[in-house]
Amino acid sequence: MERSTTKMMISTTTTGFSTAPIYAVGVEFDSARDLYHAAEKVRDAGYKRWDTFSPFPIHGMDTAMGLPKSWLSALVFIGGLTGFSTAAFMEFGASSFLYPLIVDAKPTNLMTIPAFFPIMFELTILFSALTATFGMLALNGLPRWNHPLFNWDRFKKVTEDKFYIAIEATDEKFSLEETRQFLQSLGGSHITVIHHDE
Amino acid sequence: MNKSSSSPSPEYFDYKHVGGRFMGLVSVAIVSLVVSFLLGMHHPKQFAFSWLFAFFYFMTIVIGSLFWILVHHGIDVEWSVGVRRQMENVASLFPVMAFLFVPLIFVAPRLWTWMTIPHGADIQLMEKAAYLNLPFFWMRAAFYFLFFSTVALWLRKLSVAQDKTGDPKYTMMARKITFASLPFFAVCLTFAAVDWLMGLDFKWVSTMWGVYIFAGSALSSLCVILLIVTALRSAGYLQGIVSERHYSLMGQLMTAFTVFWAYIGFDQYMLIWYANIPEETIYFLRRNTESWCTLNMILVVGHFLIPFVLLLFRNPKRRPAYLCGVAFWILLMHMLDIYIVVLPMIHPAGFAPSIFDVLALLAIGCTLAAVFLKRLGDVPLWPLRDPRLKDSINIAV
Repeated sequence: MERSTTKMMISTTTTGFSTAPIYAVGVEFDSARDLYHAAEKVRDAGYKRWDTFSPFPIHGMDTAMGLPKSWLSALVFIGGLTGFSTAAFMEFGASSFLYPLIVDAKPTNLMTIPAFFPIMFELTILFSALTATFGMLALNGLPRWNHPLFNWDRFKKVTEDKFYIAIEATDEKFSLEETRQFLQSLGGSHITVIHHDE
Repeated sequence: MNKSSSSPSPEYFDYKHVGGRFMGLVSVAIVSLVVSFLLGMHHPKQFAFSWLFAFFYFMTIVIGSLFWILVHHGIDVEWSVGVRRQMENVASLFPVMAFLFVPLIFVAPRLWTWMTIPHGADIQLMEKAAYLNLPFFWMRAAFYFLFFSTVALWLRKLSVAQDKTGDPKYTMMARKITFASLPFFAVCLTFAAVDWLMGLDFKWVSTMWGVYIFAGSALSSLCVILLIVTALRSAGYLQGIVSERHYSLMGQLMTAFTVFWAYIGFDQYMLIWYANIPEETIYFLRRNTESWCTLNMILVVGHFLIPFVLLLFRNPKRRPAYLCGVAFWILLMHMLDIYIVVLPMIHPAGFAPSIFDVLALLAIGCTLAAVFLKRLGDVPLWPLRDPRLKDSINIAV
């Protein structure tokens, strides 16, 4: 087990398989306000690979974390366009070109669009909604079996009343001692080094 | 979350920003009223339809403002606290609308031709006589104005009273009034649209008519609120109250209601087109023939496609100038919308612009603008001590 050798009195524990590589250093906060202001400091310190965890969405957290605009809307836009053109292609393809069928004396050319438009609209919505759902999951790296953060027992309180920040070891600025001291300066408690599973 | 915005000092509108233009508005209003009435003596029919067009155009905007106030109190909206006073100022114009309705009383039989048909002469009218009869028609009209005016002025009064004390009881009271009046609001808006617009052809029916008018109403009044707030901001007011985040939210609502208008408008069209029943198709037969067809196509593109594409992306919606441009465009298209509803009834042969259209728009528009300016200066520019004001200022998008 790795021991803290720094002269400062930092109460640090480690969790996970101590032989496995380090995943991240985590810190716990008691309120959304503390988490929000801590996130601003982590952002200003220049860390890139880190995240905040809370039992509920916090308004303005994306600004506090300095997150860029999500790519999800672009995906949804493409999904919607795909749905719209799928419907247009299948309806006009079948009913205007392959087998024009005159129903109720209605035309079979472009002017049939009032009859076809509900389907185009619904498929646009359907494809957009499905793209939004699955695109969100994919951008979040889900689904997955497990996550190294679950090696940390206290982290279970994230669905209850505690707030967390974890700075990952893959971050360019990450150095075990400095990151630990930095997290200490944020005013949180229970700073913990979290290891991978194996 | 900066501290400077936590207690902004009250602001009142200073008339130095308007100056002589106020008297200009009043004189334009009076001149166009007088000219319109004098010429209207000789062309009462054209006067009647032009006046109804202009009247209902502004009526939808005032009704829509009341709708946004009701939404605000009904679901405890946070962001709209800072702009709510302007909604209240616009909605307080209902008594003026009642006054501007008076000319229509004199020309009513020319507009609503069912009034001239003797009892028993038309079988369809007889079937509808329980609703379409003169006493009930005028009672309804009086009730609409009474109801709209009462609610709008009462809510504004509570809001202004709260400026002095900051007592949350006014907010609670406003919420109670809102829930009591929401059903009546929906009924009054729907039947005002039925009586005054659908009633232009008593044989025509559409069950989506009320919603269709509502959709255009909510959208265009939002645009008017946005323009008023921007005008105030460019004069130096509301600086700590309304920010780009509020514009972003208003832009989102504009997008939503642009789609909603198209959704309802298309639904109405598609159901009528598909069912092909003569009582229903008459509406679109009139408007999809001659040059009206071109205008109707412009409406589809201009009222839906163009604003939809302009409002689809997020970043431009944070720019007030951009949103104002879109708002102007939507208001123009909404005018075309109401125009196509009213005017084809007397010009079945095609688009025939008339000086009365312009005169009526000027007369009603300038009157309303002048009274609005008066209302604007009477009270502070935002609800000073609303319990949710701080939440509104610091709203996160």
